[in-house]
Amino acid sequence: MRGLVSRGGFWVAVLAVAALALPLFVSSSFTFDICIRVLLFAFVGVAWNLMGGYAKQLSLGHAAYFGLGAYTSTILLIRFGVSPWIGMLAGGVVAMLASLPIGALCFRLRGPYFAIATIATAQVLMLLFLKFRDFAWGAEGTTMPNLGDAPLMMQFEGKAPYYYVVLALLAIGLIITYRIERSWMGYYLVAVGEDEDAAEAIGVDALRIKRNIYLISAFLTALAGTFYVQYIYFIDPNTAFSFNVSVEAALVSIVGGIGTLWGPVVGTVLLEATSALLQSWLGGGHGGVQLTVYSLILIAVILCRPAGLIGLATDIYARVVRSGPPPAKEVPLDG
Amino acid sequence: MLATVAQAVVNGLLIGGIYALVSIGVTLIFGVVKIVNFAQGEFVMIGMYISYFLAASFDVDPLVSLVVSMPVLFVIGVLFQHFLIRRVLGLGDMPQIFLTFAISLLLVNVALLLFTANYRTVQTPYSETAIHLGALYIPMAKLIAFAVAMALSGVLWAFLHATDLGKAMRAAAQNPDVAMLMGINPDRVFCVAVGIALALAGAAGSLLMPFYPAYPLVGQVFVLMAFVAVVLGTLGNVTGALIASLMMGVAESLGIQFVGADSGLIVVFAMLLLTLAVRPNGLFGGWNR
Repeated sequence: MRGLVSRGGFWVAVLAVAALALPLFVSSSFTFDICIRVLLFAFVGVAWNLMGGYAKQLSLGHAAYFGLGAYTSTILLIRFGVSPWIGMLAGGVVAMLASLPIGALCFRLRGPYFAIATIATAQVLMLLFLKFRDFAWGAEGTTMPNLGDAPLMMQFEGKAPYYYVVLALLAIGLIITYRIERSWMGYYLVAVGEDEDAAEAIGVDALRIKRNIYLISAFLTALAGTFYVQYIYFIDPNTAFSFNVSVEAALVSIVGGIGTLWGPVVGTVLLEATSALLQSWLGGGHGGVQLTVYSLILIAVILCRPAGLIGLATDIYARVVRSGPPPAKEVPLDG
Repeated sequence: MLATVAQAVVNGLLIGGIYALVSIGVTLIFGVVKIVNFAQGEFVMIGMYISYFLAASFDVDPLVSLVVSMPVLFVIGVLFQHFLIRRVLGLGDMPQIFLTFAISLLLVNVALLLFTANYRTVQTPYSETAIHLGALYIPMAKLIAFAVAMALSGVLWAFLHATDLGKAMRAAAQNPDVAMLMGINPDRVFCVAVGIALALAGAAGSLLMPFYPAYPLVGQVFVLMAFVAVVLGTLGNVTGALIASLMMGVAESLGIQFVGADSGLIVVFAMLLLTLAVRPNGLFGGWNR
């Protein structure tokens, strides 16, 4: 799982072809919906992971940028008739601008203080948008105008186009992550994440690095926000700034493998597959089951395998290939 | 105008007493074990449900059920520390933050499964009564809750300053290595600290029951307040958390009175962000703790 090169490159190509071909085999809109959710949250996870995973700035407030992206494009669309494609980029820029003062405040803090401060910023934004009744529809929210099949306005018939849009977003996120991982910035990020003081001592400008990665992370998260409200045709502060978005972004990365390229993808597939299975076993109306299971998985991962599940397959593979069958006593789940 | 302000201040102080119980718990755990417990609010919720079911099934007054909720939560706290928190100590931020965070998610959702999202309330003889002091209106249930909360805070202060175990706890908070050299068993001290913190959360739950509904997400209201108060009051500082909690209560109440019913939290968060901008280590802290 080292990346996109050599043997890894082959598997990435296989994965890409499979992802591109998937809509040919999927017809039920329920399945499509799950696939789109998986890709969307994998993308949000990838955006979170850049900052939370590599630089270890554990934000629990990425809903702030998700919501800003969603609101920027929606306001531009409904008030000014601007296409959400442009609105999406505008949302990204708004999110970047917002990340500067938020970062300036929150980066003074470390660890848990930082997490708490980011929760607070997302909450403040949600509360503000609840108050903005005149130009942002307050608590009632609004539905998107239905323009029928209008690809230029990011509205499509059927779910397949949405699938490809979010697949493209995820691909962009992964490529950006891959490029950063291999650049000087990636190494600086990891250095800051490992030990901020030590990194500063050897001449890394930690604050600048954190600010830059926050800009990128906020931008990407905002794109996801625009896509999401375009997809569900509805926006209100509780949806756009939902604490669950912040939680899921962090959760999928941690479960999959924090600070790894594919971690968020693995985590999202696992969690969403679990939740889809639960849904089909239990049906609707069991509020709480999904998050109960999520939190149990999270607890298990933290206690048994804090590096995430991503290395699991390669670990087992390495053991089988290099040293024959693993000794009977060793349980592969033990990190 | 003056009467309105005075009334808002009184309301804020009364609810601030409850915030204090929650935030003293958070700050105690942080001070001693060096962990931010994101699940503290959920233990308030458990305290509320204990009181609710005792009241609904056996007609026990919520104030009396304090003698059940506090010991039960103390035991949960000891187990929580011994079996879960202990395993992530010294492992870095990610496991430490997300373990208690996951516990919080788990408790909320298990409560949702077991008890549904319905609001549950308990009526007591004093739920509707109030004292009129001039123009001031002081609800009896909140006054009792405030008084008990302050008494419990006082007992904790006395415990930390006058007993051997309390002093050991403060020693472990200041410097765990030296404390260990002095013959203090950190595992035991940590268990007791978390137990006490959770017992305070349980007490907050029972005290809230006569005037506040129980529902699975109720803890989040209190834990957010507690976090703000704990940061304002300097993480790890018990007296600071108490004073800051009362201030938060007043700030929230003034916000509701003068900015709008849904603005209490905005004022509170604005205070937090302002504090972080100006004094990142809180109002009562040095710069290096």
